[in-house]
Amino acid sequence: MPRPLSVKIAIAVAFLVAGFVVLFGVGLKGSLVYYLTVGEFLDRSGHEDLGENYRINGNVVPGSIRKDPRVPGARFLMTDGARQLAVVYGKETPDTFVDGSEVVVEGSRQPDGVFMAGTLLAKCPSKYEAANRKGNNDRKPAGQGGPPASPGPVPASR
Amino acid sequence: MADFGTFCLLLALVASSWAIIASYNGWRVQSGELVLSGERAVYAAWALVFLGVLALEYCIHTDRFDLEYVASYSNRALPRLYKVAALWAGQSGSILFWLFILLSYAAAVVLLNRRKNRPLMPIVVTTLSVVSTFFLVLVNFMARPFVRLSFTPLDGNGMNPQLQNPFMAIHPPCLYTGYVGLTIPFAFAVAALVTGQLGDTWFRTTRRFTILSWFVLGTGILLGGWWAYVELGWGGYWAWDPVENASLIPWLTATAFLHSVMIEERKKMLRVWNLSLVIMTFLLSILGTFITRSGVISSVHSFTKSEIGPVFAGFLGLCVVVAVGLLLYRLPDLKSEARLDSFVSRESTFLFNNLLLVGAAFAILWGTLFPILSEAVRGVKITVGAPFFNQVTVPIAFGLITLAGICPVIAWRRASARKLLEKIQIPFWALVGSAAALLMAGVRDPYALVAFSLSVFVITTTGMEFYWGTRARQKVTGQPPAAAFLSLVDRNKRRYGGFTVHLGFMLIVVGVTGSMVFKQEATASLKRGQGFALGRYTMRFDEIVRQDDSNREFMGGRLAIFEGTRRVGTLTPGQNFYKAGQNPSTEVDIRSTLRDDLYLILTGFDPQQGVYTFKAYLNPLVNWIWIGGAVLILGAWFAMLPDLRDRKREVEARLREIEAHAA
Repeated sequence: MPRPLSVKIAIAVAFLVAGFVVLFGVGLKGSLVYYLTVGEFLDRSGHEDLGENYRINGNVVPGSIRKDPRVPGARFLMTDGARQLAVVYGKETPDTFVDGSEVVVEGSRQPDGVFMAGTLLAKCPSKYEAANRKGNNDRKPAGQGGPPASPGPVPASR
Repeated sequence: MADFGTFCLLLALVASSWAIIASYNGWRVQSGELVLSGERAVYAAWALVFLGVLALEYCIHTDRFDLEYVASYSNRALPRLYKVAALWAGQSGSILFWLFILLSYAAAVVLLNRRKNRPLMPIVVTTLSVVSTFFLVLVNFMARPFVRLSFTPLDGNGMNPQLQNPFMAIHPPCLYTGYVGLTIPFAFAVAALVTGQLGDTWFRTTRRFTILSWFVLGTGILLGGWWAYVELGWGGYWAWDPVENASLIPWLTATAFLHSVMIEERKKMLRVWNLSLVIMTFLLSILGTFITRSGVISSVHSFTKSEIGPVFAGFLGLCVVVAVGLLLYRLPDLKSEARLDSFVSRESTFLFNNLLLVGAAFAILWGTLFPILSEAVRGVKITVGAPFFNQVTVPIAFGLITLAGICPVIAWRRASARKLLEKIQIPFWALVGSAAALLMAGVRDPYALVAFSLSVFVITTTGMEFYWGTRARQKVTGQPPAAAFLSLVDRNKRRYGGFTVHLGFMLIVVGVTGSMVFKQEATASLKRGQGFALGRYTMRFDEIVRQDDSNREFMGGRLAIFEGTRRVGTLTPGQNFYKAGQNPSTEVDIRSTLRDDLYLILTGFDPQQGVYTFKAYLNPLVNWIWIGGAVLILGAWFAMLPDLRDRKREVEARLREIEAHAA
C-alpha cells in the first residue's frame, strides 16, 4: 500500500511545484523593470532588453516643481547630482514630494524626451543623513527623513 | 541622563555576554549554579536595557536636543503620545526598542520555565542571549541612540507628520512584538537540536508564544495597512513595498508552522520540516528587521552605504550556518514515527497548505530580493513590480482558501471519499448558489466570482462544523443549544479558535477582493457650491475650513454628501501644515459603511481663484478587512486560552519528570 500512496503524493507535489514555476514565469514576465540612476538612464545602452518601462532614482531639483492646482500631478526635474531629466506625473503627489526630496519614478520616456511617470515614490530630503554617511564626524540632526520603522517610502498611487 | 543610558547599555552587553558564557558552560559541565547565574544575567540585561529605554524616553520628554536622536525625531511642540513613540521613529531607537522587547520575552521565558524544561533551558538562554548580544553590539557601537551633537539646536526637527497618527504609534510595537516573539520557538528548537531532546516539549512549551507572536505580527501588518489607508491618501492599504513584504514573509512561514505542528503533535510526522519552518521563520524575521532598518532595497546601490548592512548580513549568515549545521547533525534522530495513511486525509490537506504557504513566502521573498540578487549577478538593479506579486499570490490564496474549506470536513488518517462527498454537499451547493447569484447580480470579474464563492464555501463548512459540534454535544449532555455551543467551544478552544481565525481570514479575503476589483474613482476641481458624483454618492463643496493650533494649521474643504437626494453626512478633507516641517500632510476624510468607503482627498487648491481640487475613491467592502482582522484576533486569543486538556498534559509531564528524578 505505501508505494502507490507515496507515488500519488509525489505526483501531486510535482504538479504543485510545476504550477509554482509557471506562476513565477508568467508573473515575472512583464513585471521586471530596470532600476537606474538618472545618469544611467540617460545613457542606458545595454539596459534596453526589458521593454520601455524604467524605474529611476534621483532627487527633485529645488525650484523645478510646477503644479496646476486644478489638475493632480506635477512637472519637475530630477537629478543624480550631475545630469537632469524632465518628468511629468499625472496623479496626486505624495506629501513627501517637495524640493530636494529623493524620488523614484516608474514609467517611460516620451518621444519628446520627457519622462512620463505612472508611479512616483518620494522620501523627504535628508541632507544631514547623507552627510553623516560620508563619515562626517561633526554630527548634525538627521532631518525628518529616513523612512520610519514602516512602511518606507510613500506610495503615491498604484 | 544620556551618559547613564550609554552606561546601562554597555553593562547590559556585559550581562548578556555573561549569560551566553555561563549558560553554555553550565550546560556543558552540568553546573546548576552556572546555569542559574546565566538566567540571572538575562534578568539583569533586561533591567539594564529597560533603564536605557527609560533614559532615552526621559531625554526625549525633557527636550534634550543636544542628543542627535532627540533633535532628529522630536521637537518641543510634539504631543506627549508621539514623544513616547519617538523612541521607535529612527534607526538606533528602534533597534533599542527591538532589543527591549527581545529581552522582555527572554526574561518571561526564564521566569515561566524556572522549574520546567530544565534540560533545554541553558541552551534556550544561550540562543536568546546570542541574539540579544548581537543587538546590544549594534546599539553600543554602530547604531548608538545617545550620540551627542557638537551644538545644541534650539528645537528638534520633529516627527514626520505622517507618523503622527495613533495607528502609526502602535503599529511598530506590534510588528516588533511579533517579529521578536518568533525568536522564542527558534531558541527552543535550537535547544532541542543541541541537547537531542527532540520530543514534543520544544513546540508544546512555545505554542502560546508562537500564537501570540503570530497574531501580534498579523495585527501589526493590518494596522500598517489601516495607517496607510487613512493617512497616506492614495486610497489603498497594500503596495507590495519591500518593507511590507518583509513583515508578511515570516508571518506566512509562521502560519505554515502553526498548521504543520498539529501533525507533529498528533502523529510525530514532519519533524524536520517543523524545525526547518521555525528556523526559517526566525531568519526571515531577522531579514525583515534588516530590510526595514537598512533601506537596502528601496534605493539604488544602497547596500554598501548602509552602516549596519554588512553586520546584519554577517549575523544572518552565521545563524544560517549554525542552524543548518545543527539540523544536519540531528537528521538521523529525526525520523518520522508514522507516515501518511491516505491521500484523502486531513494530514494531506495540511501538507498542501504548508507547501502553498511556503511557496507564497518564497515567491514574495524572491520578488523582494530580486533587486539585490540582480545587482549581485549582473551589476544592475532590476525590480519586480506589483503585478508579479498579485499574479503569484492570488492563485496561491485561492488554493489555500479551498483547503481551508475542505480541511474541517475531511477526517484524520483516512477519509472515505463517499463520506467526504456527503459532508461537502451543502457547502458545495452554497458555492454554486453564490456564484450563480453573483452572476445574476452582474458580477463578471472572474477573480471576484472565484474569491466570493470560495469564501461562501469556507464560511459554510466552518459554520456547519460549529453546528454539528453543537448538535452532538446537545445529544450527549441534553443541554439547550446555547449552553451546548458554549461548552463545545470551551472544551475545544484550539479547534474552534482556529476556525474563528479562518472565518476572520475569509472576511479579509472578501474585503480585499471587493476593494481591489470594484474600486471607482473621480476627480473634480470645484468652486464653492459646485458638486460631483461617484457611484451612489453626490458631493457638494460647501465651504472652506481653516483651523489653527500650536502644532499645525489645517486647510480644507467641507463637502455635503448625498445619497440620491438624501443628505447622509459631511466630509472635510484637507491638508495639515505642521509648523515644525515644511511639507504639508494630506488629511483624508472617509465615510465608512459596511457596504463601501467614500474616501475624499483634497489634492490641490488655488486660493486666489477659490478653486479646490478633490479626488474621491469608492472602495467597496473595505471595512470587512478590519472587521475580519478583529475576528481573527478574537479567534487567536481564544485559541491561546488555557485548555483543560493542555493543563492535564502539563501535570502529567510534570509528574513524569518528578518520578524520573526520584528514580
